[in-house]
Amino acid sequence: MAAPSLLRGGLRRLFAGLVGNGRASPPARALREVVEVTEGNTTTIEGRIIEDAEVPAPPNPSGQCPICRWNLKHKYDYVDVLLLSQFIRSDGGMLPRKITGLCLEEHKKIAVCVQMAHRAGLLPNHRPLLPEGHIPKKPKLNRQARLKKFSKGSEIQPQTPPRWPLPRLHAGCNCPMCI
Amino acid sequence: MRWGLLVAACSFRCVKRQLSFPQQWATFARAWYLLDARMQPPGKIAAVTAVRLEGRHKPIYHALSDCGDHVVIINTRHIAFSGNKWEQKVYSSHSGYPGGFKQVTATQLHMKDPTAIVKLTIYRMLPKNLQRRTMMQRLHLFPDDVIPEDIQKNLVEELPQPRAVPKRLDEYTPEEIAAFPMVWTPLFAGNRRLTHYGQIHNIKVDH
Repeated sequence: MAAPSLLRGGLRRLFAGLVGNGRASPPARALREVVEVTEGNTTTIEGRIIEDAEVPAPPNPSGQCPICRWNLKHKYDYVDVLLLSQFIRSDGGMLPRKITGLCLEEHKKIAVCVQMAHRAGLLPNHRPLLPEGHIPKKPKLNRQARLKKFSKGSEIQPQTPPRWPLPRLHAGCNCPMCI
Repeated sequence: MRWGLLVAACSFRCVKRQLSFPQQWATFARAWYLLDARMQPPGKIAAVTAVRLEGRHKPIYHALSDCGDHVVIINTRHIAFSGNKWEQKVYSSHSGYPGGFKQVTATQLHMKDPTAIVKLTIYRMLPKNLQRRTMMQRLHLFPDDVIPEDIQKNLVEELPQPRAVPKRLDEYTPEEIAAFPMVWTPLFAGNRRLTHYGQIHNIKVDH
């Protein structure tokens, strides 16, 4: 339910303020850099927060989702692995929409493209974790993805006229042979 | 002047244009082509190969002139079917004896003989006449990169691959990966999205 979670969140913040003697606690989630420092006997492994990560400006900052912001709306395919790999976990699954900020249709499209890329073998390091000593029984064969409707390679085909009945050009005769 | 032109026209029509010896040789010689089947669909490979084996790529083509070329296909072990054809495509054969009907999936056939799929596809794409067997004798299939030396010496040209092979993620250099911009950034505490193009926006999230 919504009310207890709100209360819990609010209470936690109050208590943090009281207990921490008015000190500002570091942000819970941020881009951190792992730094390992060895001084004599002690090794300190620290996650230092990167405040000034360089993010180049997208061409369309007024977009709602990353795809619209970078003007990639109908421009990507299952082959663009550099883009697709930004939206997947290390075991190959998609990241949730609330984290990535994608709109629903683009999230679904990227999910389909990621599936095609997996099947084509373009993401070899994003495999699910298997238990140790597991030997795959299936033979490893090359596959390529079948093109879907919205991918770059396949344009939506124009409707060709039906082959039967044959279009006839002569006018006048109405007998069954000529129609 | 008119008579001169007429005479010239007549002589042009009557004179046979003789080909020089090297020209004749270059036109009618049998060439050896190389084709890499890595990550290619076997149907497209077969279409290109059948055209070359028949001799249809030559302007001097005639069905009875035996003008086909040799084609050497390497890496047939690494062909790539699209869709679920590895599991669904069935190759049938009958030994001639009762109960001798055998049906094998593409995977099983490929495991047994890595050149069989490409061979069958090409055989079925060639015209169904007596020249088909001769053309198949001019086809040389190798499952891997290894080619015998005497065939390697004959090769003239490498044919372009029919399908553009996409790049895997581990085939990109670290510079290319770094050059590609991050399209989205994670949300920080306080629901701030790190956007360094001017301001840091406070985004309200409804729970």
